[in-house]
Amino acid sequence: MQTPLALLQPAHGAARRPGFIGWLLIAPLIAWLVAFVVIPALILLVYSFCQRDELGELVFSFSLENYWRVFGYVHDESGAFAWDPTYLQIFGRSLGCAGLTTILCVLIGYPVAWTLGRAPDSRRNLLLTLVMIPFWTSFLIRTYAWIIILSENGLLNGLLQYSRLISEPFPMLYTPGAVIVGLVYSYLPFMILPIYGSVEKLDNSIVEAALDLGAGPLQAFLNVILPLTRPGVLAGILLVFIPAMGMFAISDLMGGKRVPLIGNVIQDQFSGQARDWPFGSALGMSVVVLFSIAFWLGTRRQPES
Amino acid sequence: MKTTRHTFLLTLAIAVLALPAMAAPKKKVLNLFCWSEYVPDSVIKGFTKETGIKVNVENYASNEEMLSKLLVAGSKYDLIQPSEYTIEALAKANKLETLDLSRIPNFKNIGAPFKSLPHDPDNKFSVPWMTGSVGIVINTRKVKDEIKGYADVFSGKYKNRIVVLDDNREMVSWALATLGLGVNDITSENLAKVKPILQGWIPQIKVYNSDSPKTPLANGDVDLGIVWSGEAAILIKEHGEKFKYVLPENAHMFIDSLAIPKGAPNADAAHQFIDYILRPEVSKIISENFPYTNPNMEARKLLPEAQLKNTASYPAGDPKLDTFKDIGKVTKEIDKLVTDLKNK
Repeated sequence: MQTPLALLQPAHGAARRPGFIGWLLIAPLIAWLVAFVVIPALILLVYSFCQRDELGELVFSFSLENYWRVFGYVHDESGAFAWDPTYLQIFGRSLGCAGLTTILCVLIGYPVAWTLGRAPDSRRNLLLTLVMIPFWTSFLIRTYAWIIILSENGLLNGLLQYSRLISEPFPMLYTPGAVIVGLVYSYLPFMILPIYGSVEKLDNSIVEAALDLGAGPLQAFLNVILPLTRPGVLAGILLVFIPAMGMFAISDLMGGKRVPLIGNVIQDQFSGQARDWPFGSALGMSVVVLFSIAFWLGTRRQPES
Repeated sequence: MKTTRHTFLLTLAIAVLALPAMAAPKKKVLNLFCWSEYVPDSVIKGFTKETGIKVNVENYASNEEMLSKLLVAGSKYDLIQPSEYTIEALAKANKLETLDLSRIPNFKNIGAPFKSLPHDPDNKFSVPWMTGSVGIVINTRKVKDEIKGYADVFSGKYKNRIVVLDDNREMVSWALATLGLGVNDITSENLAKVKPILQGWIPQIKVYNSDSPKTPLANGDVDLGIVWSGEAAILIKEHGEKFKYVLPENAHMFIDSLAIPKGAPNADAAHQFIDYILRPEVSKIISENFPYTNPNMEARKLLPEAQLKNTASYPAGDPKLDTFKDIGKVTKEIDKLVTDLKNK
């Protein structure tokens, strides 16, 4: 399995411009991207410079006000600029939350992917299927299942009380921990699969050579295995970090919506109470820019081969 | 031979042109844009069976979501289900058709307290669907103190045991109520007074949930809630005395209604649907599924005793409560205030 990042890398600088057939083959992809990514993004860009009227309809008046608000400069009552980092703090919190999720996914996902990649062929398919089985059920249903497990009258608390480990129900649902559990659960497969792709391609003789030449297991891992599986890890990080940053359903359902994350705030601008599409667009554009920077940082300075 | 072929092609062309018209003999439709979990399937099926009008249903989860989509989609919808303050805003912006009450004879079934309200004083634009209040629901097994109003909920004793509606304007209105101010007294000055109150309340709240605030209450994750009366009514119906509903002082009610957006393509069908749901026996089905306060007095006569005794659905003495008015752009200030406080 090739990882998305590996696909982006030109093969040994032998990249050719695609010929006519090549363009024809990727035309559907380009059309799809233009229709559902480029055009909507341009619409968002235009909206983000507009304002809303009394009823919430768009008013086309070019201003940077929405961006000032995102980055903490707002007009106070006298009309002067005042510093108000509310949305920057929300950005920061969302980054932290997505970052923690990503780290946990790497720590849990890497050993799993390693085991998968090294398993004998006969067992490997079964294990891979096990990783993918959760996708057969709707995401929302899986999240509601977590509510049933974690609530105070729920399965886990019932089990702990029955086994007399605790006497009073322990609040687990609607805590920041529950949000992280939900996020890690949802995105773990997106970490496992690309790392698995790298591990599977790893030539075992290279690892054996390292061990034969006197490297300890830790040294072999850090100096040989990790660099060789790096593309998979990086692809996994992008696949987990970016969606985790925008996720709002889990913090709604499992976190009780107590602390706003950037996804919640944006959703609230579009279909929630705030109904400020221009401001929501400005927040959305800011996220896009942030992701572009993250992507650029993640993909540059790749080893040449 | 040539003529035959020409005739054949001609016939084919006519057939192709006529086909769509023949296949679809102008089937009547109604595009209903309504709240999720508010219009029973059996009501829709009953309407289609009787009139032959096919009903296309699209759902939303808040007045605001409905407004956003309505303003973008233009005249795609025939019938919407806004609450009172949204009706007022839409009427103000000339976005609603005037109803022809002569085609809705069952309008007479609506009780007087639910007619001619401030948001639609001449009953020109809307017909009430269901009404309800916002109040306090208590798990009596866990909460032994007497809870009378919002201030008791947020006394500090129930920190992390509270669910509230995820609705900034609602929260502001509760704080206003504790100050003895009306739910519509929303000025910058009053918001400044509300701020320290909410600042004290917000850290005590465990869950924000507008869609199903009954879930954390039923699961035992919280012991108190400020919720829609219908949610409380379901808890009482399913768990009996374990839950109690308290209508606080200065509580307010909401009137979810039906209205026809300007330029609706099937306004006739919309009128027919409104009249259909106002029939006592149809309205009764709605009440059975969603135990809010039914404004249809004839339907109330058909309801079982147990439901009429459910104090969340039918509070004692039918108190006259305030309703929300449209506040236009101040929404933005409220949103800012609450987002700020939640973020602290």
